[in-house]
Amino acid sequence: MKGLRGGTGGFLPLFLLLPAVAFILVMYVYPFALSIIRSFTDEAGSLSLVNYHKAVSLYGRDILFSIQVAVLGTLISTGLSLALAAYIRLSDSRVARLVNSMSRLGIFLPYVVVAQMMRSFLAPHGLLNVLLANMGLVDIDTPLQLFNIRGLTFGFLWKETPFITFIVLSGLQVIDDTYIEAARSVGARTRHVILRILLPMIKPTIAIAVVLTFCTIVSTFTLPYMIVAGNPTTVTVDIAHRVTYFGDYRVASALGVFLYLIVGAMAIYYLRRTVREEVYGY
Amino acid sequence: MGTKWRRALLEGLLLCLVFFVIFGPISSLLIWSIAIRWYWPHVLPQEIGLAYWKQALGLQRDWAIAAVSIWGAFGTSMLVALVSTALVMTMAIPAGYALARFRVPLKALILLLFLMPKAFPQQPIFVNLLPTFTRWGLAGTVQGVILIHILVCLIFGVWITTSAFKAIPQELEEAARSVGATRWRTFWKVLLPLAAPGLLVSTVFVFITSLTEFTGTFFIGLPFVTTLPMLLYSSSGYNMQFASVIAIVLLIPSLLFMVLIQRVFRPEYMGGIAG
Repeated sequence: MKGLRGGTGGFLPLFLLLPAVAFILVMYVYPFALSIIRSFTDEAGSLSLVNYHKAVSLYGRDILFSIQVAVLGTLISTGLSLALAAYIRLSDSRVARLVNSMSRLGIFLPYVVVAQMMRSFLAPHGLLNVLLANMGLVDIDTPLQLFNIRGLTFGFLWKETPFITFIVLSGLQVIDDTYIEAARSVGARTRHVILRILLPMIKPTIAIAVVLTFCTIVSTFTLPYMIVAGNPTTVTVDIAHRVTYFGDYRVASALGVFLYLIVGAMAIYYLRRTVREEVYGY
Repeated sequence: MGTKWRRALLEGLLLCLVFFVIFGPISSLLIWSIAIRWYWPHVLPQEIGLAYWKQALGLQRDWAIAAVSIWGAFGTSMLVALVSTALVMTMAIPAGYALARFRVPLKALILLLFLMPKAFPQQPIFVNLLPTFTRWGLAGTVQGVILIHILVCLIFGVWITTSAFKAIPQELEEAARSVGATRWRTFWKVLLPLAAPGLLVSTVFVFITSLTEFTGTFFIGLPFVTTLPMLLYSSSGYNMQFASVIAIVLLIPSLLFMVLIQRVFRPEYMGGIAG
């Protein structure tokens, strides 16, 4: 069929795509380029590294903190998700189904709600400390201080573990039961079925989920802004301070470029893989 | 027998743990929203009541309760979300149709444009739009916030719409074309009705994304445009009760969406992953 399968669409497809593409060019690509240019420009408007110098000397510790949170959050949530997804896939018990539906909750809750939730739950006198203190696990006078890397990581785990579990589980559910039965019939134990058969079959899916989680954690502003008290904090919070307190767009842009660099390799992997699959089908 | 018991015990423990981790923070919100007085280290509040809810919903005005009516912010949020969603879908439906049904020139480059905002942090984008928006008189206005929300939502709109069109087999359109229907008529009478459920998912997803958008509104809208997330943020520091009430209001649409689309939601919607 001419035209429908492509080929002779002529300018029609470009015309159809024009509004969306034009919008992204003006509202995304232009400010993206601007953020890089601005980061290399000094007050007088000439090429300079002064913003990077400032960014590193003032916020070097926070750059490391952002990386630390992202690595920690991604590793733990991936580990938990793989275990949960494999358990849900292999078990047909009521508990597994219940765990599955409960774990979906986090995927759709917006970060601003999660942030408020964590702010009240993890507070020094919040519900978690109240419960722990009443169970005698925490001293009433010295409750857990969680408005730092621990609470932040917990918040990210709460939101991202359901997401990875959902993606990985969708991958696992496509795998035919016969693979599992065949492995079991030659004596493979559950651990081997998961580690040697199921997970290797969906490696690309796992990779995409991990990469997207890493990028999301690095990019998120809401959660650290609302729950991390004082220093060290994430680069996203520093960017907001730089802009709202100092009106300093240049150092903020340099910090933004650091964010681009942190997600760099992962983001490029995701872009290449997704584009290649869509365009060439592999 | 021994392994069976051990398994049941382990599953019970897992269930308790998952339940506590997921519902602990949520119940903290619920309790705070009805707590009038709650002193450390009591497990439950000393005094509960709906005062903060009533005040937030405009049912009462009491100067002793630190909460304002949320209807103003609710109106702003709805206006922004409705207009953004309408404009996003107006752009996303033609774009999704083109990506799903045509051999598009420069397809790789165009896809890259629609994927980049997901891969790279958007905050530097908002920051660098702010001076431009200020020059154009868009900073701190509803129009400016709508533009930002369109930016945040457009890529989701395009992905989900593309995947909704792709899920419909082409044979039906080919049949319509072969008996002489124009491309326009085929799109309108064959493809659009078939893809309607997927397009609805896309529309609702975009709407909720706009309703709960924080970062872009923070940079472009503050201090003049108060959406619900902004109101939540501004009360979050000093007023646990009022902030919890707003958080629950914001949580409701997402929960409804989750329950409604549980079955049709697919992983590629979340990451533009090829289906």
